[in-house]
Order: sequence, then structure tokens, then C-alpha cells
Amino acid sequence: MDYAIETDNLTKNFGSLTAVNKLNLKVQKNTIHGFLGPNGAGKTTTIKILVGLLKPTSGSVKVLGQEVHVDQADSRLNIGYMPELPKFPKHLKGAELLDIYGRMYGMTQQQRAEQIPKLIESVGLKDRENDLIGKYSKGMQQRIGIAQALLNNPELVILDEPSIGLDPVGMVEVRELFKAISKEGITVFLSSHLLFEVEQICDHVTIINKGSVLASDTLQNISGALGPAMIHIELANLSGAVIAAVKKLPFVSGTWRTGNTLFIQVTTYDDVRAEISQQVTGAGGVIVGMSQKTSNLEDAFIQLVSKDKGEKPQ
Amino acid sequence: MTAMQQATGTRPSWFTRFWAIVRYEMLWNIRKKKFIGVIIIAFMLATLGLVLPSILSSTTGTAITANPNFAITYGASSFGFFLFALATAMNSISSEFESGTIVPLLTKPVSRTMVFLGKLFAAFVIILISYVILFTYTTVGSIFVYGPQNNLQLVPLVLLGNLISTFIWVSLLLAMGSLTKNTIITVLVAVGLFLALFLAIPIVSVFAGPSPSLNYLPGSGADGSMLVGNTTMTINTGTDNICVNLVNYVLYPSGNVTFSKINLQAIQAGQTTLPTTGVLYTEPISLIALRALGVAFAYIFVFLFIAWIALKRSQILE
Repeated sequence: MDYAIETDNLTKNFGSLTAVNKLNLKVQKNTIHGFLGPNGAGKTTTIKILVGLLKPTSGSVKVLGQEVHVDQADSRLNIGYMPELPKFPKHLKGAELLDIYGRMYGMTQQQRAEQIPKLIESVGLKDRENDLIGKYSKGMQQRIGIAQALLNNPELVILDEPSIGLDPVGMVEVRELFKAISKEGITVFLSSHLLFEVEQICDHVTIINKGSVLASDTLQNISGALGPAMIHIELANLSGAVIAAVKKLPFVSGTWRTGNTLFIQVTTYDDVRAEISQQVTGAGGVIVGMSQKTSNLEDAFIQLVSKDKGEKPQ
Repeated sequence: MTAMQQATGTRPSWFTRFWAIVRYEMLWNIRKKKFIGVIIIAFMLATLGLVLPSILSSTTGTAITANPNFAITYGASSFGFFLFALATAMNSISSEFESGTIVPLLTKPVSRTMVFLGKLFAAFVIILISYVILFTYTTVGSIFVYGPQNNLQLVPLVLLGNLISTFIWVSLLLAMGSLTKNTIITVLVAVGLFLALFLAIPIVSVFAGPSPSLNYLPGSGADGSMLVGNTTMTINTGTDNICVNLVNYVLYPSGNVTFSKINLQAIQAGQTTLPTTGVLYTEPISLIALRALGVAFAYIFVFLFIAWIALKRSQILE
């Protein structure tokens, strides 16, 4: 299969700290691939290796079929990258920045004249393109960051937390923009903490923790791996007896906890909240809140990460 | 192949990308408040140098003495070189790291060597343009104030010498910025070094004499004197005086510079000139000019090499 990104046992150590640990990542071409993980999981370090900012300690990286090495300028010709909270020179105007970056990509004057106004409009910076970036708000810097990542009509766009700092309308606009560019055959690799955002636009997802892949599959397979539904119960004090009682129910296929919240994976589409409530109360548990919903990415994420942290399913 | 590349058909040339970085850097330089400040200060000082004699002559009632060599002798100033270098290069590399703008820059299809050379070239062009304007201004002004000027064909040589002297500091600042990635440390080290050399060299010269080792440090170097006709000219051998010594070499190619030590014990009250010991050693002006050039290029090369290697090896953690 043709991959846009392919890593093989990618490892990055900072002294005694292993930020990326034998990471094997595969991103198919023409997909919107979400890259998820808790804080400190190694997402940004991985991305910096992908774009040639950091040198891996061991392992290899291929982007668009080419081995990536630090300071290999040509390998970035077909890649667009937006860093987390991007910073651009304050002395340049928005349009000037795109013009200079366009020159670095070798775009002709005509190409720049066509592409830059189009991008400025699509990221919502029309009428502000001639302001100095130093006068831009955080959200506007984020928007110009998205524009510069798409400037060269790349084959692959790597976005590190693209929605940080955007207002709700901006977030929706940006999501629509990513969907639109994906339809043009551009592969989007997106790191985000906003799971609902990933659910809305990604078709593939990789979840990492402690620098290693926990799961990588289509969004549908990852979200559905837990079964048809998930029940969350928040208790005043979650005891082992409550968990043991819940596990006795025939439709419960698994449980795990985070603090005083118990996540119950069920094998039925029926509403079984009353039976669970009865079982919990019978075991001495005091329920503060309960909800039932179809399994989603958030459930899968929490289960995978909790499991990896040693909070194993009960 | 992307739509853009399909349209262009080829990958951008090295020069196209390099020129984009030069443009990026020059736009920054000309919009920097400190650079604009240095330009204003430089013009004020140049104006003062030209106008002050006129003001003094009108207040004292004495006519201005004609000085046909003003245009080729005015301009060499250690402090001026340092200020221009500081304004242009003090944060050229370090602030990219401090502000985080290095991240989007280095993820464009430009190599770190291109970024380094682009920044260096932009600094060169900016200082060159500033000096050309400044020298044109002082040269034209000197004709009005001091009368017709001799050897105007040597003005470009003076300018070249000043550029080389300035670039010792530019390369030092780039090396420090690239190594530390911190503008404050870069400036502190550079200012400390400048002041140490500025103060230490004359003090060393007084007590230890014009030691030949002074010729190998950036700055004013050793003090000597050269006899031209009936006039004794003071010659400073260091890298700050490349322009003056190049001009002296062209004008007096067979000139010899003698070095003596100040005789501190023989100083008496009321003396207009300091007593000296006998001649310690003599050097031809050609050697002094060419050695200062060689020393300057050696410093520039070493500092630039350090700056380039440090940038090449940097890992972008922030």
C-alpha cells in the first residue's frame, strides 16, 4: 500500500527521557488521519521528526515515499506544516509572509497572485492581510498558520492542534476547509486534543501514549471496538465491591475506572441503566450521575490510555 | 506531483529560495527600530563631524583649515562598527529561536545553510547600503566644508575596509546568537568583549608597549608612527583601522612604521608630546595593512563557521 507517512521503530530520546518509543505509524494517502494521545504522549515530537526539525535517535521515517533527514530541503516541497501555536515574524504583513514563503516554494508571481488571495479568503483573513502579524490576535495567527500550510498545494498537510485559539465559528470553518482539501486528494495528518473534532473530520485514527502506538485503524473500527454502547457512572466513592457486582451482569463485557467514574461496556443496544443502577446500589454504591451512549472515540481513547497507564479493565 | 508543481514543472532553484530568505531578512532589518535608530545616530554624528568645525570657526572667528584628506580619513570608528553590527546581527538568529519563528521557517523547502547564508547576505547588503549612503553624504559634505578633496578614488577602499571591520563583529554576533539562541547573552558577551578590547588595548599599550600580539586581536591594535615627508603620522595597526592602513599603503607603499614604548618615567609636567623609549621594532605599512586584513578574515571565517555549524546542529525543541 502507498503510505503518505511511514515510520519504522521510530525512537527519540532526550537524555534519559524516551519521548517516542519504537513508533510504527502508517498513514494512508488521501485520508484525514487523526493523531491522538494525552499530553506528553510524543505527538509533537513525532511530528517534528516527520517535518525534519528533529533527528530521531533510531528508526526511520518516510514521508511521501522519501526518507526524511534533518535539513533536507527538497523533502519538504510537497508538505504543508502548521506547528502548534505557530509564531510568525511580527514585522511582516500577513500577505507578505505568504508571498515570501511562496517564493521559498518556487511559486511564480502569477501563482502567488492567484493562490494567496484565495487562501486569505478561505481562512477568513480578508481585509486584514495587509496588517502586520504583530497586530494579529491568537486566532488570526492560527488562521495565517493554516493558510501557509496550504500555500504550496501540498500532497500532505501536517497540522499540530490547528483549532487552538479559534473561536467556535472559526473551528467549524476550518473543519470544512480540511474536508474540502481532503476531497482534492490531499492527505491530512492532524494532531488534536479535540476528540469531537477528530470524529467529525477524520476517517483514520492513531492513538499513542508514552511514544508508542496503542491503536491505529479506521475511526469506525476504533470507535466500535468497545461494543454497541457504553455506560458512564459517576459514584460518590467507587469500591471494588461495586465493580464486582456490575461485572456479574450478563450483558457487561468489560469495565474500567478513572477516579470515581466507572465505564461499563455492554453488549446490548437495550437501555440497561435501571438494572445497573440496582446492582450498584445493592453493592453499597452511591450514584451521582449516569449516562448511556453509543461507544465513541472518546470512550475508546479513555479506555486505551487508561489501560496503558495501568488502570486495567476490571 | 502537486498542482503547483504541475504548473511550474520544476523544483525551485537554490537561488530562488536563497533570495526569498534575503528578502525575509531585509524586510525585518529595515523595519527594526534599533536599526533605524543606529542609522539616525550615524547621520547625526556624520553631520556633527562636518558642521562642528563651521560652528566653532564662526564662534572663534577663525577660518576653517582646508583638509583635502578628510573624505578618506574620516569614518573609521570602532564604536560605529560595533553599533552597526549590533543593530543588524544581534538577534538575527537568536530571536528566531526565542520567538519560535524558526519552526515555520525551517519547515519550508530551505536548508539551514540557505537560511544562514541568506541572513548573512542580507546583513552585508544592509550595512553596505547604509555605508554607501553615509560615505556619499560625508564625502559631498567634506567638499563643502573642507574644500576640494584629494584621492576621492580611494573612498570605495575606505568603505570596503570599514565593511570588513564591521563584519568581524557581525560574525561574532551571529556565532554567539547561533550558539546560545539567546539575544541577551549574545549582546552581553559582545558588549563585554568590545569594552574589554576598547579599554584593555590602550592600557596594555601604555604599560607593555606596542606588543606585536595586539595585532592579532580585534580592535585598535598597536600604536606606531610613520614619517611622511616632514610629518609624523600616527598609525594604529588593528582590524579597526583596515581602511586607514589600506589607504596609507596605496598612498605610501614604501612607508615604514616604527614602534616605541611610552617612557612613563620621563613624563614631565607641561609636555605636549609623550616621551618614548628608543625604537622597539619597525614594520612596512604593506605588512601592517595586509596582516590586519588577514587577521580580520580569519576572525570572520572562524566566527561564521561556528555560527553555521551551531545552526546546522540545532534541534528545534520549542
